[in-house]
Amino acid sequence: MAEIRAEEPASTISKTFLIKPKLKSKPRSLPQTPESKYWSSFKSTKIPNLVSSISSLSFSPSPPHLFAAAYSASVSLFSPLSLSDGDVSPSSTISSFSDVVSSISFRNDGLLLAASDLSGLVQVFDVKTRTPLRRLRSHTRPVRFVKYPVLDKLHLLSGGDDAVVKFWDVAGESVVLDLIGHKDYVRCSDCSPVSPDLFVTGSYDHTVKVWDVRVENSRSVLEVNHGKPVEDVIYLPSGGLIATAGGNSVKIWDLIGGGRMVYSMESHNKTVTSICVGRVRKENDGAESMEDRILSVGLDGYMKVFDFGNMKVTHSMRFPAPLMSVSFSPDCRTRVIGTSNGIIFAGRRKGKENVESGRVGNVLGFESISESERRVLKPTYFRYFHRGQSEKPTEGDYLVMRNKKIKLAEHDKLLKKFRHKDALVSVLSRKNRENVVAVMEELVARKKLLKCVSNLDSDELGLLLTFLSKNATMPRYSSLLMGLTKKVIEMRVEDIRNSDALKGHIRNLKRSIEEELRIQHSLQEIQGIISPLLRIAGRR
Amino acid sequence: MMRGGRSLVSSPPAFSNDAKKLLVCTSNTVSVFSTVTGLLITSLEGHTALVTSVIVVPPSNPAAKVLCYCWTASLDGTIRYWDFSLPELMKTIDIRMPIFSMVIPSFLDVPAEENGKHQDLFAYVSIEDAKETQERTKASRRQIRKCNLSKSRLVGRLILGETRKPEVLTVSPSGKFFGIRNKCKLHIWKVLDQGSERAAVRKITLHHTKKITVIAFHPTQRIIAAGDVTGRILTWRGFGNRAFAASNGVADQKLINVQEDKPGVRDNDDADSCSTWHWHSAEVNVLSFSSDGSYLYSGGKEGVLVVWQLDTGKKKFLPRIGSPLLYFIDSPDPTLSSISCADNQIHLLKMPSMGILKTISGIKAPCCYPDMYEGLGNGIAFDQTAGIVAVRTENYCIQFYSLFDDRGVSEVQVCERNHQPGDDVTVIVTSVALSIDGSLMSTSEVKLAEEGIGGLVCLKFWDAGSQNKEFSLSTIVYEPHRDAGISAVKFHPSGNMVVSSSFGGDFKVWKCNHDVIQNDQMRQNFSWTCHAVGSYKKKPMTAAAFSADGSVLAVAAETLITLWNPYKNVLLAVLGETLTPIVNLSFVGKSDNLVAASCGSNPQLSVWNMSKLSLSWSYKLHIEAVASAVDLSSFAALVLLPESSKKTTFKGMDGVILLFNATDPVPTVIWSVRKAKGGALCFVQVSPSSVEEISIDGKAPEVLLAYMNGDHEYVLFDPYCKDAREVSVSQKEGLAAHDHKGQAGQYGYASIYGELPEFDRKRPEAPWVPSFPSDRPWETIFSGSSHNLPPLTKLCSAFLESLLEKRTAAAE
Repeated sequence: MAEIRAEEPASTISKTFLIKPKLKSKPRSLPQTPESKYWSSFKSTKIPNLVSSISSLSFSPSPPHLFAAAYSASVSLFSPLSLSDGDVSPSSTISSFSDVVSSISFRNDGLLLAASDLSGLVQVFDVKTRTPLRRLRSHTRPVRFVKYPVLDKLHLLSGGDDAVVKFWDVAGESVVLDLIGHKDYVRCSDCSPVSPDLFVTGSYDHTVKVWDVRVENSRSVLEVNHGKPVEDVIYLPSGGLIATAGGNSVKIWDLIGGGRMVYSMESHNKTVTSICVGRVRKENDGAESMEDRILSVGLDGYMKVFDFGNMKVTHSMRFPAPLMSVSFSPDCRTRVIGTSNGIIFAGRRKGKENVESGRVGNVLGFESISESERRVLKPTYFRYFHRGQSEKPTEGDYLVMRNKKIKLAEHDKLLKKFRHKDALVSVLSRKNRENVVAVMEELVARKKLLKCVSNLDSDELGLLLTFLSKNATMPRYSSLLMGLTKKVIEMRVEDIRNSDALKGHIRNLKRSIEEELRIQHSLQEIQGIISPLLRIAGRR
Repeated sequence: MMRGGRSLVSSPPAFSNDAKKLLVCTSNTVSVFSTVTGLLITSLEGHTALVTSVIVVPPSNPAAKVLCYCWTASLDGTIRYWDFSLPELMKTIDIRMPIFSMVIPSFLDVPAEENGKHQDLFAYVSIEDAKETQERTKASRRQIRKCNLSKSRLVGRLILGETRKPEVLTVSPSGKFFGIRNKCKLHIWKVLDQGSERAAVRKITLHHTKKITVIAFHPTQRIIAAGDVTGRILTWRGFGNRAFAASNGVADQKLINVQEDKPGVRDNDDADSCSTWHWHSAEVNVLSFSSDGSYLYSGGKEGVLVVWQLDTGKKKFLPRIGSPLLYFIDSPDPTLSSISCADNQIHLLKMPSMGILKTISGIKAPCCYPDMYEGLGNGIAFDQTAGIVAVRTENYCIQFYSLFDDRGVSEVQVCERNHQPGDDVTVIVTSVALSIDGSLMSTSEVKLAEEGIGGLVCLKFWDAGSQNKEFSLSTIVYEPHRDAGISAVKFHPSGNMVVSSSFGGDFKVWKCNHDVIQNDQMRQNFSWTCHAVGSYKKKPMTAAAFSADGSVLAVAAETLITLWNPYKNVLLAVLGETLTPIVNLSFVGKSDNLVAASCGSNPQLSVWNMSKLSLSWSYKLHIEAVASAVDLSSFAALVLLPESSKKTTFKGMDGVILLFNATDPVPTVIWSVRKAKGGALCFVQVSPSSVEEISIDGKAPEVLLAYMNGDHEYVLFDPYCKDAREVSVSQKEGLAAHDHKGQAGQYGYASIYGELPEFDRKRPEAPWVPSFPSDRPWETIFSGSSHNLPPLTKLCSAFLESLLEKRTAAAE
């Protein structure tokens, strides 16, 4: 008993330290927000059995947007099209490396691929033939990153554990500039999307430096301090903001504002290893627009989606392994995440295959800018006419109620249009006594009743006579209707003589009048009996 | 004496230069109203006959906007010059001929004072020359003449034109032209620049086939618009190009004549083109261009203000004004204008949107009904305690008009019908009665039958809410006396009983049941039910009255008077017999006398003694109205004079008011009045709250007699004060005047940027030498920015003083 008891706490403690791998990635935020729906719509495919940690992932800027994954001493190219068919084998693999590949980068036309390895060598491959075209050797220590500028085909940027950032002329295999300034390993960099001359590098000395190759003395233009060893740095699409990842925080900096920190996102529990820019499709006022997000992955196995417009995390997703790298395809249809145990989680969205295939290649590197412009609704769109109609009022809005519509009966509408006879006919056919009398009174007030009666054709006259024969003797209406009955018979005597149906109505009328006379007679008789009695009773 | 109820719409009003005042011709005076509050500010008194024109002197420069000078012309033959801010009469020009209309075109040229010589100001007047009757026919006595206002005389023998009727002169806003309409023609004169006063003025004539009713000039271009009796609006463009512009070249004229083609222009009239718009169904009464000249306002009998876009002819409407329009006046403030309606209302409009901002409400004119309903009474009821009169109006409303304040209080719509001017009358409000405290009202109306079908008599009871005098309907009784018409409705003095008598031979006593509903707000619910029915020998009941204590109900059964106990419905007595049916019954105060007035071929005013149940005295007089005070032993009667005596004894007066002591057949006082037909009389109690406003020779009268004539003009006077009949009313000026500044009156700079901060006001408040609130004043003296600090000399002395103070404090 005692032994077992002693074991139990130990086992529970050991359980808490285990990271229990979950088999399926699971969205953590509520699924009903449109954004998490969007992120969940990436149909996940697992590419297993790559040898070790996926150190780098990169998409080709030209369609069909192949992506390359660097793991161990090889680089594999995958086709996203085959991913959707469930084919997870690489389309081709480059394995002419002597050490672990640390970083890969596509040129902006997607024809060349640069890769660096820990031996200090940077190689440039032809993507199609996979032959190494150039070998750039100058680094003395492992190279940690290599980067093609976004707007430049001729140069290359690399840096590594020797704390030197080198700017290469690729064709001549020569170093153009040695940028010295970092005091520790340089781990990452990114090139400005708006200028071919600007780039940032991040280092383990906690700083991120902005470089300009036009500056003569090879000193950094600007320097920001992240506070933790910097693992990754990216330019945001505007070119004015950068995001840095280091420790378990992602920070956003305003370069134009002199290196001011805009926001610090600290929702990861462990070190953030990689960030990239993702894009989400947004329905806004009926206008469809693309908004940019920062995707960040960390060793805690989470991928977080950060909206840097509203400064909040809009989606997070858990994966069953520490994550090392992330990338998002330019056509917004594929996102890939590499783990430390050699698995790539590739997500692919359904969609039209040739959405942007035509234009992105032509615009070259500009796509990140041009696509960020919102799609403005024009009157040629059908949706233009529905914009804002589905808008729901928010809490503080003052509601202006539309006046309640007054429902008018048909005869009221006709009276408003001065179609007096039509109004009379329509109300007579409805068989509502009060309404008929009310319409007649209104016609009297307009001095139009007799005119109406003289204009009725024989069917309509029949309607009127039916009404009169039923209601003329009603005490409430008799003062009006008896007079009217008399007038009607006087005015339309010729028509009545010519029509048998009308004669029938007149016969009915006569019968009801006789009935009424009989009632009045008997009432008078009763009154004659009662009144002397009352008189006598009053006297006593 | 207090007069009121005058017509506000006899002549076009005029705005002051800052558009905060509106000058309205009200018979012999000009009333100045505030456009912000709509209340009377002051009035210009001095004319002895109807004022026909009022012209505000426009400012010569922006600084002169505050000046308040105006010219007025009147039928008494004088032109007067006023400062209406004070108000003060500055100048009087007597030309001894009635002036129907006056225009002063040349204001703009007057302030040419820099050359030392003040140039003369000329006015053009439409007058009636009374002197020359012998040599001329009557037709040509109405003349258009020129008057030199600076030298106070008419200009020589210069007669510009002669017309059959007195015509209204219209001047162009630029001051270059003025014109009149004369049947189917328009005459336009061009005002020459400051020449000699005898300079001949050039004239052209434009022709049309219909009678022209109104004309208007375009403010900048040579465009004139005219409306005619059929509702058409004609616009001539480029009138007078030949006569006014090409002055001498006779040969050129001929040349042009041949080549030009002039669409729409009749005969050989001097205009480039003439176009016609037709929307109005009846004659056009109002025509006015907007101040920038791009719009034309027109209106007429339909009571719809139409705005025409001049270039395109597109229309915009302000409908449902409810009364024929008479004048449209633009103000110097572009956001304000006014329309005058035939029902004696002046509406101030907020301009581009044409919303009614304020209404200056005069008493509404009596409505004219078909002859058969003439005898149903004049539809006037008085609230004796509050001094309010209720008159029925043409749009099926009852207007409540305050006699002391001389303005409309409220209006209650009696029938649920929209009134459109020009429609056939199908509903008539026959009588209106108010309870003594004025909180209850009873009205009766007749829906006219169409050839004997569907007539309806309706009796309605109304009650006023506790605070506001808004009446709400409490009970409707359809056909209270079957189909017979109601002859009289009277309230019991206690207010919870009403008698209605009918021509059908019976009367009904209605009783009020109060239900106090305990809602969230205490609300009294009145409902009226029939308490008793009485009839006397099936004779038509023609009049009814309650005695002052409410114990006796007198109902006139044609020529007899029956007396009833209203609570038990028992016939008490029958008084004996007049020659013709009695139309008016009235108890004389608390005394035991009953006054009965009968009309017809043998009219009679008879006074019956209730204690003796016999006739005490009677006159053969045609009585229009009888009034008796609640606690007086006398009564007043309004008598219509017979045709024969009218001309001889009473020069134009057609009625007299006789004040009788009930026991004495000799009247104590007699006043003669005009327009007595359809008039009304009432004793109005002077409530303590209004005593300080009304005083006669220092002491306040207890009761005033109100006489309202057939045109609803009224006069209030003290019937017992023989010699001093003037009732002075201290104006409630403060009420109207203090709203002037601030709120709605802002425009121009102030409306955009707000009020300027008042620098001057601040300065005396903040003392020149800083004060030292702290107990260590020397520390604070030099604090503050240097440009705020006082000069060093002052500071030094203050500093030393503060040190001295400290030392004395230390010594103590």
